[in-house]
Amino acid sequence: MNYETVIGIEIHCELKTKTKMFSSAPVSFAKHQNSCVNEIDLGHPGTLPSVNKEAVIQALKACMALNCTIDPVIRFDRKNYYYPDLPKGYQITQQFHPVGLRGSVTIETAAGKRDVRINRLHMEEDTAKQFHYATETWIDYNRAGTPLVEIVSEPDMRSADEAVAFVEKLRTLLYYLGVSDVKMEEGSMRCDINISLRPEGTTEYGVKTEIKNLNSINNIRLAVESEIIRQTAILSAGDKVEQATRRYDDTLKSTVMMRKKEGNVDYKYFPEPNIPPIRLAAEWIEEIRSSLPELPEQRSIRYTEVLGLSDYDAKILTQNKELSDYFDEVLNYTTFTKLAANWCISELPAYVSQENLSELHTTLTPKSLASMIDKIGQNIVSSKQAKEIFPHLIKGESLQSIIDRLHISQVSDTAELSDIINKTLDEQPQSIVDYHNGKDRALGFLVGQIMKKTKGQANPVVTNELLLAELTRRKPE
Amino acid sequence: MNIKETIKLSTPIERVEKALKLAHQGQPFLNAVVTFVDTEKQLDNLQNINPDAPFYGIPIVLKDNVNMKSVKTTGGSHILANYISQYNATITDRLQAAGAIVIAKSSMDELGMGGTNLTAATGPVYNPYDLSRMSGGSSGGSAVLVASGVVPFAIGTDTGDSVRKPASFNGIIGVKPSYGRISRYGIIPYASSLDHVGYFTRNVSDAALALEVLAGRDDQDMTSSFIEVEKYSVDLTGDLSGRKIGYIANVVRAIENQDVLAMFNRLIENMRIAGAEVVSIEMNEDLLNAILPTYYIIANSEATANHSNLDGLRFGVQQAGNDIEEIMSASRTAGFGKLIRKRFVIGSFSLFVENQEKLFRKAQKVRRLIVEDLHRALNGVDGLIAPASGYGAPKLQDTSLDQLSSRYLVAENFMVISNFSGTPSLTQPLGYVDGLPVGINLICHPFEEKKMFEIAAGLEKLTGLADCIREVGE
Repeated sequence: MNYETVIGIEIHCELKTKTKMFSSAPVSFAKHQNSCVNEIDLGHPGTLPSVNKEAVIQALKACMALNCTIDPVIRFDRKNYYYPDLPKGYQITQQFHPVGLRGSVTIETAAGKRDVRINRLHMEEDTAKQFHYATETWIDYNRAGTPLVEIVSEPDMRSADEAVAFVEKLRTLLYYLGVSDVKMEEGSMRCDINISLRPEGTTEYGVKTEIKNLNSINNIRLAVESEIIRQTAILSAGDKVEQATRRYDDTLKSTVMMRKKEGNVDYKYFPEPNIPPIRLAAEWIEEIRSSLPELPEQRSIRYTEVLGLSDYDAKILTQNKELSDYFDEVLNYTTFTKLAANWCISELPAYVSQENLSELHTTLTPKSLASMIDKIGQNIVSSKQAKEIFPHLIKGESLQSIIDRLHISQVSDTAELSDIINKTLDEQPQSIVDYHNGKDRALGFLVGQIMKKTKGQANPVVTNELLLAELTRRKPE
Repeated sequence: MNIKETIKLSTPIERVEKALKLAHQGQPFLNAVVTFVDTEKQLDNLQNINPDAPFYGIPIVLKDNVNMKSVKTTGGSHILANYISQYNATITDRLQAAGAIVIAKSSMDELGMGGTNLTAATGPVYNPYDLSRMSGGSSGGSAVLVASGVVPFAIGTDTGDSVRKPASFNGIIGVKPSYGRISRYGIIPYASSLDHVGYFTRNVSDAALALEVLAGRDDQDMTSSFIEVEKYSVDLTGDLSGRKIGYIANVVRAIENQDVLAMFNRLIENMRIAGAEVVSIEMNEDLLNAILPTYYIIANSEATANHSNLDGLRFGVQQAGNDIEEIMSASRTAGFGKLIRKRFVIGSFSLFVENQEKLFRKAQKVRRLIVEDLHRALNGVDGLIAPASGYGAPKLQDTSLDQLSSRYLVAENFMVISNFSGTPSLTQPLGYVDGLPVGINLICHPFEEKKMFEIAAGLEKLTGLADCIREVGE
């Protein structure tokens, strides 16, 4: 029997605010343990939460990018449970009235496009971090109270490809919005995947397992693929999948059981009495909407429809916000759009790592790259020469100084070139005959000879034109 | 003598020394103080305070659920017996900025949950008028320290009637202003939607002045109000002419003590003579009977979550255990009294998914109905009055009262309506029954504290009961 895979995804994403969700303590990654905490984060007696306005703004932006319906009344609830990483003994979250409801995003895989519905987006606070050692547990409260949004999809994905595409889509969106670092390795974006199988053609959901703590896109793919294999084997053998929480084990290359689901835990949710409902003015929400940055889809449309780039180029560029931001800046200084795109897509990433891309401006200014692209476009510098120039340009040296120092210049002067071409043809009468007899190699040979004479500095386009004209003129009777 | 006059007639050091002397003198009998606070640095700090500040060099007391940095704050519970405050409550800052000198932290029912002060970790607080009787609670220590003349002002908190009931039993003023009028930041909570900061004074003039010091928006308490703070103590004439005041007929009916009723009726007569229109107001009896169960469910539900932070891990008294879960569990079991654990069970039970609709949510609905009925009762009058208690302070071991009788449910619990509704309310002395004080309670419209103090000043003139002190010891 063939099975259809059904996947739903929950994503926890830390917001990029200066201070915590409900306290004025700073948010920061990798600071000295327990240095970014105050009495509120530690749940000291008598403390009260104050909602971080910036976090609300960022959550609203995320709702907008995910096409969610926004609840204009912000309300919070308490989720009660005892755990060492939860200082208050409850987490402040939005159980009953999430800020965003019923959104959707479109994903694209080799199998085509698919709309994935978003069930909800809500704000909450992160927990502290525990470190378990042989005989001790250490707790770092720096993370406690960090603003989070939780985004829950409907079970609309059908393959590992689609799960990966969904997570990447959300990552890119949230990154473009500037609301999160979305670093899965550092835990600023965390993914739980619900997965079940059902006989193809049926509509009832099978028993699902939840895979927790996936810390990279690659692991999402591996985890989903291995879980599909595991569940398929169970179902094919006529057994039942056990509802459980699992995790992906890197060394075993398979998911392993964390805990069985024994009914649902009762979190005794109730409305947070210390935060009165906050009504958001419609104008304020619209103000935020109008401040949204250009999102990847809009940008991609601009690239293809306004700039005339290929779908492929547009996709590659928009996948990488830093790169396409840089590309957009280069376009401020040059009109050779396609050339600029080529350089940003193929040459830049070869020289600059992703981490350094955002600091690239300090050495290779967009203006400087644009000046070289202009020279290429105007046939003053050949592509081959440009590749010689580029390693120096990226170190901050000016284009003119590189050209002067390396004696790079192209012979585009037609009189000078014509002299050289005539001289070459005089020397190679056999090649003229060969060319007119249809031997294409003759042309390449002649160009090679001309390049040799000019030490590679002949403008190839101009040379080609002049050479062809001269050959036609010298056609044997 | 009110605080304004006191400041003119003595020095801060004289005032503080006298207060400390009285406090130590009374402590073996009253047991009202949990921790004496060092006053030296505070007195030194007065050089940074304007001598015209309203509480300049005035000795005061904080209930032991109010955080004061570097001072022990136990909340009346064993689990916080070693807890040193890491920060100041907003009101601690405000009081110190007004020149107040905190001389002590006062005893309270464990975590504010009680009306007797018998559940304090440090033992009962005794009534200065009769040491075999209770102070009332949960702000019993603060009430007794004001009543016994130690300090002219003490902070209490009021979730059910925890300021206004002990005020009645101790012959002083107990104020609980509107919800949101005073910041709750830094006060160990009981039930957040019902908790109010309140306080005790010995006269209405001080009560009005104190609210000027305490009230105001605090960004650290999102429930605190932006409504402007008024000059409550200015032009307090106590003129009752033209005032229309209702008395809650249901409460009066439920009182059996004839002396209390006689005093109350005499006061109404005098109010009429003073020019007030006094009318009988009937409230919905079923709703009044529902106050206590409704309160129990809401307060305990919120409390069980509010106190989940007390696990012995980051602060407080920690018990041994093999792992973190065991430590938390052992610390909570050993740290809380039996009554508290019982309340946590009731709260948790009310919040369980299968019970929440018929208990917690239903209680919220009943609360709304009660509030609506109160607003209906307040409609057209300046305020409502009723005896704050049907009797004087009970004996420490008094268990005679039938807690399901209307005598108890209505007469002894109606003041909770001001916690449900957030309406300002105060208790002031009405008179004495067998030598024990009994108070009268006044309820006004939200944020009409100015009017509340004006009416209270009028009643104070009629009863003649201001600045009542019962010193203990020597």
